[in-house]
Amino acid sequence: MRVLRALLFRLFGMFAKERRDRELADEIESHLQFHIEDNIRSGMSPDQARREALLKFGGVESAKEDYRDQRGLPVIETLIQDLRFGIRMLRRNPGFAFTAVLILGLGIGANSAIFSVVNAVLLKPLPYENGDRLIVIRQQATRAGVNAISFSVPEIEDYRAQNHSLSGLVEYHNMAFILLGRKEPERVVTGVVSWNFFDELGVKPLLGRNFRPDDEKPGAPAVLLLSYEYWIRSFGGDPTVVNRTFTMNDRIHTVVGILPPVPQYPDENDVYMPTTACPFRSDPQMITTRSNRMMQVLGVVKPGVDFRRVQADLSRVAANLERAYPKEYPSNYGYAVKSTPLREELTHNARPTMLVLLGAAGFVLLIACANVANLNLARMSRRERELAVRVALGAGRARIFRQLLTESLIVALAGGALGLFLAHSGLDLLVAFVSHFTPRAREIRIDHTVLLFTLIMAVVTSIVSGTLAALDAGSARDLKEGSKQITTTLARGRLRNALIVSQVAVSVLLLIGAGLMLRSFLKLQQVNPGFQPGNVLTMRIDLNFSKYNNGDKQRQFYDALLSRIEAQPGVRSAAATMIFPLGESMPMQNDFMIDGQMPGQTSLPVGDFRVVSAGYFKTLEIPIIEGREFTSADRQDTPGVVVINRSSARRFWGNQEPLGKRISTDQGKTWLQVVGVVGDVKQNGLDREATDEIYFPLAQSPLLDASLVVKTTVEPMSIAPSIIELIYKIDPDQPAARVRSLEQVRAESIAVPRLTLSLLGLFAMIALAIAAVGIGGVMALNVSQRTQEIGVRMAIGAWPHEILRMVLGQGMVLTAFGLALGVVGALALARMLQGLLFAVEPTDPATFVAVAAVLAIAAVAACYIPARRAARIEPMTALRCE
Amino acid sequence: MSDKPDVWQGTLALMVLKTLESMGALHGYGIARRIEQTSGDLLSVNYGTLYPALLKLEQEGFIKSEWGVSDNNRKAKYYSLTRAGRKQLEKETRDWEQATQILARFLAPSEES
Repeated sequence: MRVLRALLFRLFGMFAKERRDRELADEIESHLQFHIEDNIRSGMSPDQARREALLKFGGVESAKEDYRDQRGLPVIETLIQDLRFGIRMLRRNPGFAFTAVLILGLGIGANSAIFSVVNAVLLKPLPYENGDRLIVIRQQATRAGVNAISFSVPEIEDYRAQNHSLSGLVEYHNMAFILLGRKEPERVVTGVVSWNFFDELGVKPLLGRNFRPDDEKPGAPAVLLLSYEYWIRSFGGDPTVVNRTFTMNDRIHTVVGILPPVPQYPDENDVYMPTTACPFRSDPQMITTRSNRMMQVLGVVKPGVDFRRVQADLSRVAANLERAYPKEYPSNYGYAVKSTPLREELTHNARPTMLVLLGAAGFVLLIACANVANLNLARMSRRERELAVRVALGAGRARIFRQLLTESLIVALAGGALGLFLAHSGLDLLVAFVSHFTPRAREIRIDHTVLLFTLIMAVVTSIVSGTLAALDAGSARDLKEGSKQITTTLARGRLRNALIVSQVAVSVLLLIGAGLMLRSFLKLQQVNPGFQPGNVLTMRIDLNFSKYNNGDKQRQFYDALLSRIEAQPGVRSAAATMIFPLGESMPMQNDFMIDGQMPGQTSLPVGDFRVVSAGYFKTLEIPIIEGREFTSADRQDTPGVVVINRSSARRFWGNQEPLGKRISTDQGKTWLQVVGVVGDVKQNGLDREATDEIYFPLAQSPLLDASLVVKTTVEPMSIAPSIIELIYKIDPDQPAARVRSLEQVRAESIAVPRLTLSLLGLFAMIALAIAAVGIGGVMALNVSQRTQEIGVRMAIGAWPHEILRMVLGQGMVLTAFGLALGVVGALALARMLQGLLFAVEPTDPATFVAVAAVLAIAAVAACYIPARRAARIEPMTALRCE
Repeated sequence: MSDKPDVWQGTLALMVLKTLESMGALHGYGIARRIEQTSGDLLSVNYGTLYPALLKLEQEGFIKSEWGVSDNNRKAKYYSLTRAGRKQLEKETRDWEQATQILARFLAPSEES
């Protein structure tokens, strides 16, 4: 307590110095007067009395100094002094201050930005109350190689009843429905969930209430929760939307609450409804059929139970099911169940890229530090005189060391502030980038953890970049005029060269990283997707389930729509399809039977089923290799046909002629004939292998939800409004969504590698620029320190071009050292990039050579300016100077 | 200057507190003179260290100060003991007595020799 009180007083003692000094002077004066009076009383003369009093008191000034030290906190006061002095010194050298702050700002900014992502996505706990206990459960058919199978209603009930390790088990699936009751019909992506879905996650609604058990009872009034994003986007955050009613699937739905802005898993949905409100989920056949698998399942682990025991528990249930229903889980499936922590599920996509970027940002900061350390060293040689004076006046080495570190700290803190500003400005872009990986992107922000990280970065940076120079300055100096110690200069020169070499080496690392990404991206762009994305418009149509409740109605709608679209000017052809390439991936793996092939021990063949209308292949210009594509002659009442892709042909029929062969998707009840073989299409991504695809004609297997693809002769987006108009004409309650050109879709599908490349490229460019400035700066300093020597050389006959070559040569030697080190480092580290690369080896020689060339050119350019200046030195002026 | 020993480090505070207890409010010079007189002029107070010591005691709340006027009409800062200072004085006196007793026992002629 006493200590605290004293500290507080001393803290206050640092203020109102003038008044306190005056009081102290008064007090000492009155002390002296008392003493003088006493002395006079004891018989001294006034002069003698005064002298004796002063003598007895000792040094008045040093007493005052002691008093001041006791009054305030000398540590802080020296710090403030150092800060003031530091700022003065920096203002006297604005060029240095500006460069150093800019360089450190770039370095720290890169780190703050990437750290804000790592913090939000990888470090922070999930923003759900039960986040650490949530698991994702999947069924698998290990022997058939399928590792993510959805659940059916009976399966969910079995797992819920038979597990011992979960305190809750909830289901989820999502569908697109049409929401009516606003100005225009709106397609809303709807999450269909158990009533306690959000309770189990631990998410409380922002407004209104969560679902209740009653909401999920069959026949209960339909209710909706809106996601925060949808609420803001579509309703402008209007709180009165709670309790409003809308029509969906021919029923009145009441909004009961708004969700908070949390990452949504498994999908980003617009609205949520309980299972009983979903017309598909509440269909009696759906509820009773064990093989109607549509739902995903999340579990909440009981507190204190570890994940391994949960897995064992669930596997036990799986074994029970396999035993009880051998027909549904044939032994050749290898039925299994797998649980994964939700947190891992949400972040494992982002982790490798984020760690690579964090490493790259770290390297940028390293270069920045080395560069600023060099700037500091250079500055020290200019401040030799000043430092010598201060040493001569009694400044201790520790004091000078501290002073110089304080100056570094000022620079680094300013750099940190600039870095924060840069990170903040780039945040939106970064969020957009990271949202390609994880819904946690929305949690990215500059919070206090990021601020603290930045502060620590700045302090560490100041120590790293300032210590060398401060140590250098601490080595003894004396004031003797002209005592230029060659050894110090040499040692300092070597230090500077080492710093340059390290900057070059690290920029080589980053350039190679970026170069590999660039090569990989170019390869990705050259991939033949198997179709022509140019001039194709796409849009999504989700028909109203209750209105188009049978195949005929669905067929009629698409027939009518497609024929009207094809009659539009500017349209070459149009088709409807379940999915189009490179769009949302929708795993539709199904098994089937091949006529004449016995399944035997292994499981049935599995293929990716697609449903397309006649004209699909023509519209996307997917080549027909053999046979024919679907035509309007393939109708419901004509024999069933399929078209397969080349992969399927090879896999299922090998060298046999596939045309005319038959397959069955209903255990041999009906058979479909292969009438055509088409080229492979990169359906799931340019970097993925084509899958074994089997196409069914829309006419024979109608679709409720489909995408339109329209080949145009004009700019595709320009005719979108007229096509939406056509849809309204057929059905005014039918919205279209996700209107994009296929070219856009293709660009989005490679957005992740493109953005990763941009970020790595940006970091590499910053690194290269800093390193180039560093080389140039050091060479310039060398030249100016060697002016005399160069003058002598020229005086005894050296040609300017020889001088030029000498300076350039020195720069190149440093560059070559750095390059060699960097290449060695890259060979060791590039393997970490492997997972991010497509069709490029991490040791790709072309990249290494190109990087070396770029770096050499940059180094030559950076050294050319000082070299030319050296070559233009006038021998006489050089000799006269100093 | 003088061959009188300076007040030992650490005891000055105790002496100041004791002086203020016996004399009441007093200014710096008075405190110093009083300490010297009490020691029978065996000790010499370094006036330069007195004022930081007084400030420290005040920061710790053992003494308080206010400007006043002396008998001969001179403006001076008067120090006086606070209640916490009185307690501190008791405690330090006890500590000191104990310390001197222990030391005395050490320095007393040993029984063995």
